[in-house]
Amino acid sequence: MDDYKFLFKVVLVGNAGVGKTCLVRRFTQGLFPPGQGATIGVDFMIKTVELENEKVKLQIWDTAGQERFRSITQSYYRSAHALILVYDISSQPTFDCLQDWLREIEEYASNKVLRVLVGNKTDREDREIPTSVGEDFANRHNMYFVETSAKEAENVERLFMVIASELMEQARSKELPRYETPALSSRSTSVGDGGCCGGRFS
Amino acid sequence: MGDEFPKEYDVIVVGTGMTESILAAAASRVGKRVLHLDSNEYYGGLWASFNFEGLQQWVGDCQKPKDETECKADPQLADGESAIKMRVLNPPTATNVKEQWHVPEAVESSGDDAKKAWSQEEVKKLYRKFNIDLAPKLLYSRGALVELLISSNIARYTEFRNVTRVVTWHEGKLTPVPCSRADVFATQNITVVEKRMLMNLLQECTEYEGNPEKLKKHENQSFLDFLKDKQLTDNLIHYVLYAIAMSTEETPCIEGMSRTQKFLLSLGRYGNTPFLWPMYGSGEIPQAFCRLCAVFGGLYHLKRGAEALIVGSDNTLKAIHSDRENLKSNYLVMGLDYAPDSFLPEESPGISRGVFLIDSSILAADKEHLTLLEFPPDESSGPVTIVEVGSLTNACPQGLYMVHMTTKQKGSAEEDLMSVAKKLMNFPGETDESKPNLVWSMFFNMKDTSTCDLGANTPTNLFLTSGPDLDLDFDFAIKQAKEIFSKMYPEDEFLPRAPDPEEIILDDDDEDKQKQPEEKASEEPQE
Ligand SMILES: Nc1nc2c(ncn2[C@@H]2O[C@H](COP(=O)(O)OP(=O)(O)OP(=O)(O)O)[C@@H](O)[C@H]2O)c(=O)[nH]1
Ligand SMILES: [Mg+2]
Repeated sequence: MDDYKFLFKVVLVGNAGVGKTCLVRRFTQGLFPPGQGATIGVDFMIKTVELENEKVKLQIWDTAGQERFRSITQSYYRSAHALILVYDISSQPTFDCLQDWLREIEEYASNKVLRVLVGNKTDREDREIPTSVGEDFANRHNMYFVETSAKEAENVERLFMVIASELMEQARSKELPRYETPALSSRSTSVGDGGCCGGRFS
Repeated sequence: MGDEFPKEYDVIVVGTGMTESILAAAASRVGKRVLHLDSNEYYGGLWASFNFEGLQQWVGDCQKPKDETECKADPQLADGESAIKMRVLNPPTATNVKEQWHVPEAVESSGDDAKKAWSQEEVKKLYRKFNIDLAPKLLYSRGALVELLISSNIARYTEFRNVTRVVTWHEGKLTPVPCSRADVFATQNITVVEKRMLMNLLQECTEYEGNPEKLKKHENQSFLDFLKDKQLTDNLIHYVLYAIAMSTEETPCIEGMSRTQKFLLSLGRYGNTPFLWPMYGSGEIPQAFCRLCAVFGGLYHLKRGAEALIVGSDNTLKAIHSDRENLKSNYLVMGLDYAPDSFLPEESPGISRGVFLIDSSILAADKEHLTLLEFPPDESSGPVTIVEVGSLTNACPQGLYMVHMTTKQKGSAEEDLMSVAKKLMNFPGETDESKPNLVWSMFFNMKDTSTCDLGANTPTNLFLTSGPDLDLDFDFAIKQAKEIFSKMYPEDEFLPRAPDPEEIILDDDDEDKQKQPEEKASEEPQE
């Protein structure tokens, strides 16, 4: 059934309203939901992409109700391979909060996690954060940078494809932390052997 | 953000301990509007796991003097309502906290000979590599929590490692206990005759339940006497009594058999011992339930508690007062550590905890083990549950092991655990080469509130929940959560399976709705 070669967990964070859910849905479903309400009952979405003739499965975790008050559980960051930090280019406050988000990421995510800064909503006329400012911030913190519009489908595909190919490269060169595949396969009977391997059940 | 904060809930939960978090998830899962608060800036309360720095802060908090000052809240009250003010500060209810280093602040690297010499500096530098549990727990592979995680699909938020060996202290030294069939045959610690005896006994224990007749005869017997009647050797009696049944000389036969059975039933599901350890520590488990709650619409706010409870003349809770707002709720679930003194039960027994950082395993082996040791009682201490974890669980950095000790409180934690600790590790000045050297240690006591009657003094729609208990697994918290849930929502299913992402169909033709067991439209306004 699952014939993918790689599985990566990608996690999104950023202030409320910056467009995290819209980015995920644009990428996984190819649409821009008109009245995006708080999503209920969905904790991650899945999209399988093909890269260099390999199937790569991306598990994209969006924050849930807890996010509104910045009370994400630290376990949310566990075993993430890539982290997307989103702000809204038309909203200075969402940019100002990036520092706080970074602090939280440093605290809980793995050192090796791939980090990407995303300035979303480029279609908007009322830009407050010039591209160069976002770029600078990303450079200073050793992050990839891209500006997107979930609405106009600009750079969204590219964002995730770059992440996928970067992670694939890391995996091939074995730099990637070797986690048991996080939180998948709800039906399959898995779980490690008696040795020192991790156990995950389903 | 103020005006987007809903003012009415079905359930408000205060405290993110285990029982509270299970309840929050269960209520949210069946469509209830849940608000979950914790006045700490971390999840889990007394069930939390911390990195090394976080733990230092926790220790600091514990040492703050208890402050009974009430909040200054001045909530609006309707006719007949009264306000019960809460304490301003709710420091962790741990006592006798004693943290100590056993290595120098800094050491010069002494070249490549022998073991690495650790210093305080070096440990602190690696603070993020720690996950130190306040309430370490193991899961029986077929225990209540594992079954619940699977049936609710919350398992997808968790990762585990197998406990790889069960060890006992016998005749003054540590020995691995053969527990699976394969182990029994492989071990060289017991003879062939003993192996046969052991297999027969274990067989009998798995079958005892269907045999009421057979059981009758053992009703008034201790498990120890039963084992002696079987003519088992001392070796075997020790293994079965202390390590497998985790019993004492006084444990009644039936209880000993049922514990043995529980052990055996969980064998072979995920590894060659019956136990699992949560990766990143037990503090992950309440968080997994919180995540489910949030995914189903539950709102989370840390660093926020209740300043007052608003109670009607009919002794039901109407609302809580939090951050200058009255938040109405049909039910309130509250961790005991938050409860106003008037709700608290009288004395409760205590738990003694010790955490030790050592520079090698208590029982050296050729690979990293995750070890359970049920230390038998002796003149100076009761049975002590000991779990040793290494870097593979993310409990501590490579090259170190962390030992958790838990026992029933008699004196202070240090008094209760020191004699066992001394047997297993070198304290400064001691140089027994077969033992690990102690790097750092911490002792503390906490209350075991699992045996208290928590409903006695509370409004009828307010449910108090216990803190961590002494048991190895989480059974108690699950039982308590189920009981409270069925009082609140007798008609609703307790944590039905959450759908996988693949099973959810998002339909965007006109508005965002999801095909799910309970169709629930979003209540939150969109900014
Ligand atoms: N113009 C424009 N609006 C966008 C874009 N992406 C999202 N939005 C709008 O921004 C609002 C918030 O989008 P969401 O995707 O719900 O934001 P979020 O980050 O998931 O918010 P929370 O779930 O509350 O944390 C919605 O009204 C979207 O329509 C974009 O690229 N351009
Ligand atoms: Mg969203």
